Amino acid sequence: MRRILILDSRDNIAVCLVDLEIGDVVEQDDISIKVLNKIPRGHKIATQVISKNDGVIKYGERMGHAVVPIAIGEHVHVHNILGDRLSSAQS
Amino acid sequence: MSEKLFAYLRDNGSWGLRNNVLVLPLHSALASTARTIADTSDGAVAISHDWSGEIDSDLRRILFTLSGYASNPNNYAVVFLIIGNAEEKSIIDGAQALGLKNFTVLSLPEIGSLEKLQSDALVVANKYVAEAKSQKRIEAPWSAIVLGLECGGSDALSGITANPALGVASDRLVELGATSVLGETTEILGAEHLLAARAIDPEVGKRIVAMVSRYEASINYEGIDIRGAQPSRGNIEGGLSTLEEKSLGAAKKAGNAPLTGVLEFGEKPLTPGLYFMDTPGHDIEQLAGFGAGHINVVVFTSGRGTPTGSAIMPTIKVSTNTPMYSAIPDLIDLDAGTIADGLETLAQVGDRIFAEIIEVANGKLTKAERGGHHEFALSRMYKTVISEY
Repeated sequence: MRRILILDSRDNIAVCLVDLEIGDVVEQDDISIKVLNKIPRGHKIATQVISKNDGVIKYGERMGHAVVPIAIGEHVHVHNILGDRLSSAQS
Repeated sequence: MSEKLFAYLRDNGSWGLRNNVLVLPLHSALASTARTIADTSDGAVAISHDWSGEIDSDLRRILFTLSGYASNPNNYAVVFLIIGNAEEKSIIDGAQALGLKNFTVLSLPEIGSLEKLQSDALVVANKYVAEAKSQKRIEAPWSAIVLGLECGGSDALSGITANPALGVASDRLVELGATSVLGETTEILGAEHLLAARAIDPEVGKRIVAMVSRYEASINYEGIDIRGAQPSRGNIEGGLSTLEEKSLGAAKKAGNAPLTGVLEFGEKPLTPGLYFMDTPGHDIEQLAGFGAGHINVVVFTSGRGTPTGSAIMPTIKVSTNTPMYSAIPDLIDLDAGTIADGLETLAQVGDRIFAEIIEVANGKLTKAERGGHHEFALSRMYKTVISEY
């Protein structure tokens, strides 16, 4: 059973299909990722290193940018990325 | 791909995937009569609507919608029921200009009796049904498929299951030479620049950005701020981090193909490729716009499920999650929830949707067709927007 979903080969994130715990190792489709945070189902995990200001790529498209460096296996969400067009950093 | 398409060739060179005989009332007072005629006929269909000849700022949009709907290539023939006003004539003229050849107009004041109108219409409808049944499907090119992409009742899984899987199927069809049309202006807000970047030329890109700006201006005028703090708290809990991500999920129904053109509500695409049509988020109004734009098959993704169907376009329903599919199997044709459960890949579900579109195009009935779901609603606009239409 798949635990993460990579939507496009150009993506640097994957969508978690199950809740992932710190220390879990996801091995699937020639990749092996050590999970660095607790990540809920439906949320994103970094599958590549994302430098500060680099684009976050989902569906092969840019959906925002990193505001801090993001390591492989990290939870990718509102605490470390922002939209390019409209910020979701309110409250 | 060895699949072949078989469809009905129209005199004007367009292709129908169905051979409907449509009883179309051009005044709301004849809606029940139209329904009765269809129900008692040998297989005609009817729609009803609430327009009764009002002349207001929406008039052009309404006339255009009904002309386009009547001339959809899925219709073998149309029986118009009229009450005798000038606007009705302009709808019929418009339908002819858009390619309608087989039709009969029955006027209540000329016939002088509703009972006779009904019996005359039944004779005509049955004659057309018999003719339609004798027409054979012939092998058709891929350009015969004009697919409409719709979603309604979205959930947190829409953007990772049914929508991108539909995108896989849409991309394959576009690559083969078919046409695919994405709608719902509300749902691409925040992703229009990405669609614009895929435009085949800068002019098309400018048009889609302008279309979304026009919509934004109209909602601001109405004092509604639907953007606010997008994505919403619920979206963020579900894992969506940015507005672009949310709109990308909806736009994924259109895959990654280049954007060939931009269409006004109910406008028909003239060449194959991927298009965006300016439609409201309201599912049934959007379906009416798709019908008016000569779309001949629709795929509708849903998280909550819906019986919605069309009198003239087969509508394939795809669930975003397996529990919903299991709960209402009589309404949903395919399940894409298997992607979220890791049981199937996007490509596998995309293949299933693609195969289903071909089968339905070749005559397999959708669940909405079997259930006789024939929804229709006219779309009305704000005055500020109609002035630019």
